[in-house]
Amino acid sequence: MKRILIGALFALPALTAMAGDFTASLSIAPEWRTDNRDSAYFVAPPVVPVQHRSARQDLGLRFRDGGFNAQGTLRVLAREGQTPEQHGIVNQFYYDGDLGNGSGYTFGRKVISWGVGFGFRPLDVIQREDRRSLNPPPLTGVPLAAWEHFSADKAFTLVWTHPGHRHEATDFRDQSLAARYYRLVDGNDIHAVARLSGRHALEAGAGITHTSGEEWAFHAAALYQQRYSKTFNTLAESGGGILAAANPMQEVMRRNGLKAVLGSQWTGTSGFGVLVEAWYDAEGYSRNEWRRLDALTARQRSLNGMAPASAINGNVAWSSRAFERPNLLRENLLLRLSHDDERWKPALELLVTPRDGGRVITTRLEYQSDRQRVSFGLRFLGGAADSAYAQAPIKRMAYFEWRLALL
Amino acid sequence: MFKNALALFASLLATLIALPALAADDIAALLKRADGYRLLEESVRIETLVESYRGDTLDKERRYTVYIKPGRRSLVLMKSPAEAGQKVLMLGDQFWLLMPDTQRPLRITATQKLLGDASTGDIANMTWSDDYDGKVVDEVDIKGRRCLHLDLSAARPGVTYARIGLYLDKASKLPIKADLYVHSGKRAKEAWYEAKTVDGQLRVMSMTLLDDIQAGRRTVVRYQSIVALAAPDEFFNPAALVRNTLAGW
Repeated sequence: MKRILIGALFALPALTAMAGDFTASLSIAPEWRTDNRDSAYFVAPPVVPVQHRSARQDLGLRFRDGGFNAQGTLRVLAREGQTPEQHGIVNQFYYDGDLGNGSGYTFGRKVISWGVGFGFRPLDVIQREDRRSLNPPPLTGVPLAAWEHFSADKAFTLVWTHPGHRHEATDFRDQSLAARYYRLVDGNDIHAVARLSGRHALEAGAGITHTSGEEWAFHAAALYQQRYSKTFNTLAESGGGILAAANPMQEVMRRNGLKAVLGSQWTGTSGFGVLVEAWYDAEGYSRNEWRRLDALTARQRSLNGMAPASAINGNVAWSSRAFERPNLLRENLLLRLSHDDERWKPALELLVTPRDGGRVITTRLEYQSDRQRVSFGLRFLGGAADSAYAQAPIKRMAYFEWRLALL
Repeated sequence: MFKNALALFASLLATLIALPALAADDIAALLKRADGYRLLEESVRIETLVESYRGDTLDKERRYTVYIKPGRRSLVLMKSPAEAGQKVLMLGDQFWLLMPDTQRPLRITATQKLLGDASTGDIANMTWSDDYDGKVVDEVDIKGRRCLHLDLSAARPGVTYARIGLYLDKASKLPIKADLYVHSGKRAKEAWYEAKTVDGQLRVMSMTLLDDIQAGRRTVVRYQSIVALAAPDEFFNPAALVRNTLAGW
């Protein structure tokens, strides 16, 4: 892979001679994590591998010629205690064709983002992007065939995602038929989406974005899911035994779920901005669901000395997968303060989970020059001692990213 | 002595008579003539180079392709490596931004639409007659030219500048200079227009913006080509920003 990366770098000048638009960028993004050793969910290595340090090095390539679009990443991923991994990723590879009269079609792997919102986007029924990642890599699209029609103020899109797949175990391979209607009405963006799939059955929702004056923007969106998923520890939910011999974290499909977001953003001429957003995600845990998991974990910890440590640690490690969801709780509030003076972009974010008093503080600083972008961020998880975020096995995170536009 | 006083009085009287006549003049027609030096056709594609200077040192360059259509519709495609793939759509008072990594048009407010030292309005708005109203307040000499001084106020929300002091060559109505005021009432920039004869027609081919807020900053907006071209209406649909490469346009 290293040879491929070096070869690709040397080949860049030749690629620029090709017809079409070709861009390339190089990025180096180390990330650091600090354990929360006070958490009942913290399990030391080797049961849960330590990843205090990791680094992502990407050579991003993008090519566009007419309707043909390709975006790929050559990645070297190094994690503490592990052999570096090399990946070749096809982020997007699609063809946009024109049928005339404002109609067109698309075949291939494409990123389709339909969401309304900043911290949470319920209407992203196809891309399902984790908006709370600290420094996410470029998005990878989904295989699809689509037909679109545009007029001056309306748009309609019909998409068949993951054609031919029958795998319904995850959202990422769930074959579906989805539609989006967009209309610009009196300066308001109106969105409506619907999706039919084997995993979620019917999902339908709508959203609006409205600007008021020159400084205020408001947005709202809601999505109904006929079926939605949650991953529970069956021991916690059933009140049965204390230790399981096999992974007790089971995905459960429930009926009639709701996802919703409501937000407002103010941006002043000075470049300062304030965003306030509240959202509800039925796929997050309720306060009582966390209490039951906390109680099970406490019971498991109380067996220290009475049961094999490997059994206790293994069970706690399984339970700690509950922290992998983007939204740990259903109810969330986000406050974001930012400033934009073109080159420097500082931001401070406070995420609060009002049901349990948890909080996540994130600071970011980005510098952008003609060809380079440098960004740095810190995230602190905490809040009330029994809140989900305060009990997360990770306490602090930091990242740095240097990105260079090569072409 | 009496003759001189009489001549002065007559001159003052003529000016007093002439100014109301100018004020009563169709200001829209005056602005239309001035607009004609910047935008020869209603639907155009403009290749724009923006050079930002700190003192006399070139700080950065940005390239934009701008599509303009009647109805206050503009689409800006950013071409420089640091911004490649970004698009800004302006529909009247409404703005959308597309970042290439997100593939999702983002609704932005008027105050979020700044593009570095030159605002989107500086790049995408090539006319005054649709957005401003006002009157001729006096006549002044600028660089040896007799100029009409127009005091213009925004006739609609969402325009980049709330007030403009515009100076037009009295004879030709060619734009010479403008004082650009933001909504707080503060003068933000001073604009100087440079015209050249292209294809036998006098055209504004560059604009130099002197920043009042950040002293020593100078931005030169060069219109490298202006081609009459009417891109299809659906290209100006916010939902179509992701799809449209405008290849061939």
